[in-house]
Amino acid sequence: MTRRLGLAAGLLVAAVTLALPAVLDDSALAVYILLGLAAMVTVGVSLLMGYAGQVSLGQGAFYAIGAYTAALLALNGAPPLLGLVAAPVAAALSALLIGVPLLRLRGHHLAFATLAMQLILLSLAGQLDFTGGDIGLQGIPQFSVGAFEASSASVYAYLTWAGLALVMLITHNVITSRPGRALRALATSEIAAASAGIPVGRYKLVVFALSATFAGLAGGIYCFYTGYVAPGSFPVLISIQYIVMAVVGGLGTIWGAVAGAAAITLLVQGLDRLASLPGMPSYAPSVLSYAVYALVLIVVVLFMPHGLVPAVSRRLSRRRAEVPYR
Amino acid sequence: MSAFLTYLLNGLAVGSAIALIASGLVVIHRVTGVVNFAQGTFAVVAGLCTSSLLGLGVPHGVSEVAAVLAAALAGLLTGLAAVGRPGTSPLSSLIVTLGVGVLAYAVEIVLWGDQPRSAPGLAGSVTLAGARIQTQHLLVIGVAAAAFALLALFFGRTYLGKALTACASNPYAARVVGIDVRRMGLLAFALGGLLGGIAGVLVTPLRPISFDTDVTLIVNGFAAAVFGALTRPVVTLAGALLLGVAETMAAGYGYGAHQLEVALGLMLVVMIVQAGRRPAISQESA
Repeated sequence: MTRRLGLAAGLLVAAVTLALPAVLDDSALAVYILLGLAAMVTVGVSLLMGYAGQVSLGQGAFYAIGAYTAALLALNGAPPLLGLVAAPVAAALSALLIGVPLLRLRGHHLAFATLAMQLILLSLAGQLDFTGGDIGLQGIPQFSVGAFEASSASVYAYLTWAGLALVMLITHNVITSRPGRALRALATSEIAAASAGIPVGRYKLVVFALSATFAGLAGGIYCFYTGYVAPGSFPVLISIQYIVMAVVGGLGTIWGAVAGAAAITLLVQGLDRLASLPGMPSYAPSVLSYAVYALVLIVVVLFMPHGLVPAVSRRLSRRRAEVPYR
Repeated sequence: MSAFLTYLLNGLAVGSAIALIASGLVVIHRVTGVVNFAQGTFAVVAGLCTSSLLGLGVPHGVSEVAAVLAAALAGLLTGLAAVGRPGTSPLSSLIVTLGVGVLAYAVEIVLWGDQPRSAPGLAGSVTLAGARIQTQHLLVIGVAAAAFALLALFFGRTYLGKALTACASNPYAARVVGIDVRRMGLLAFALGGLLGGIAGVLVTPLRPISFDTDVTLIVNGFAAAVFGALTRPVVTLAGALLLGVAETMAAGYGYGAHQLEVALGLMLVVMIVQAGRRPAISQESA
């Protein structure tokens, strides 16, 4: 019964998703695209936090790696499609490289190590010549495949949500497979998982790389959409924002990540509108968004530790004693 | 040679400020097991408070003390959010303190705006063995030394300090002998706020403070604290001084742009080496 209900809900969401770009105006489309990109990264964060039990405060770094990779390739004359494919690959490779030493850490050590990684990366991007320094890279060409050029925002909206669908499908397949069960085991106790024969280190590394891949893909789309990347586009706050979204939606849930990203993006956008009304002080937009991130994060962690989606779905299906994290 | 000595002394001053922030982290982590991400925020709050109070014409001394008390209050409030609710796991508490840090951004921008602010400190400079050093730098070193000495006395010689240590080494046994572990956790947060506040008050005359300076402060403080595995104050002090000297030397000999990378790289190496030495079981049960 719940399964059929879920399928119907999924179809409805898909239909609305496909219809929206045709009816939204450009400013609403911008929100829609950023929401999709944020959801893409958040699915990875949620997978990493909920299944592998690891906190990454540096997910913005992989987003930046994807964006810079695609931008550099496109600016040096490579076809944009190659840039878009290279973005997640570069993010995954750097995650594998960084992950080997970093994933020996856990808990707050890993959180600070990933934060440090992002700070180092931003500082380097701001100083090196080929990344354009603090000014960044400008004039990135539009995304195109062959003769077709993505000139309108709605094309990017479809691209984004197609990417998100792919990311969700991959995540679903990973967590319902044998490695998925292994991941759930190692999130509760790494020692127990290791003694059950699970290659803990390798699995953690793969999930870390997978979450980086998602962030890299989102970064690639982002750079073609905005046509501009700079260190300032990827502040530490952006990584915190993904944590907020993942925690709000419910860790280790695919739909939760999307719902969390949607809830936070829309809330912040709504408050932004409110804050830019005449008569509001000039600092109102940033103050309101900081306050929202903070209050939502604190309240959800303390009072709704499983997040929005599991809380709602638990209420829907009370009969089952315990809802598995799905 | 005198340039070297200048860099060394300035480095020690920078390191002393880092040590104060790191000692706050260590006090809170020892007692509650929580890594307080808002530790840099306390310093920022105190720094901004002093600059405002001095701007209002409140005399030196009074404004600094008031700012440090405000930071201690901020620490107490952070503690209430992070460990006030029983059954919050340390990692959840870390995320809560992260939220507190971001919430503080909102409050700080409303109260002080988003531009960096400075405050006048001790003017002038002294020449020691041919090396010129600002008096404020000497003050930072002196206050940090005094603070560490007082902390050692507090933890070693008073009942309250011993109760805090008891909570740190075994919370269950501490509860059995009638120590209120939750209250001790809040006390630790207030103490952490106090230490962070002292650091902020001392640093503001040296470098302007804005609402987002806390990231640099907390990362440096954490880097120093990992030297002592977040539990040993003396090793933390040594780590902080090493970090301060390394950063100042890097800046002094022309690698100023890579100051942050030096600190962060050092922290990563120390953490990874430590993780390799410690068996996984002790980390999971902790």
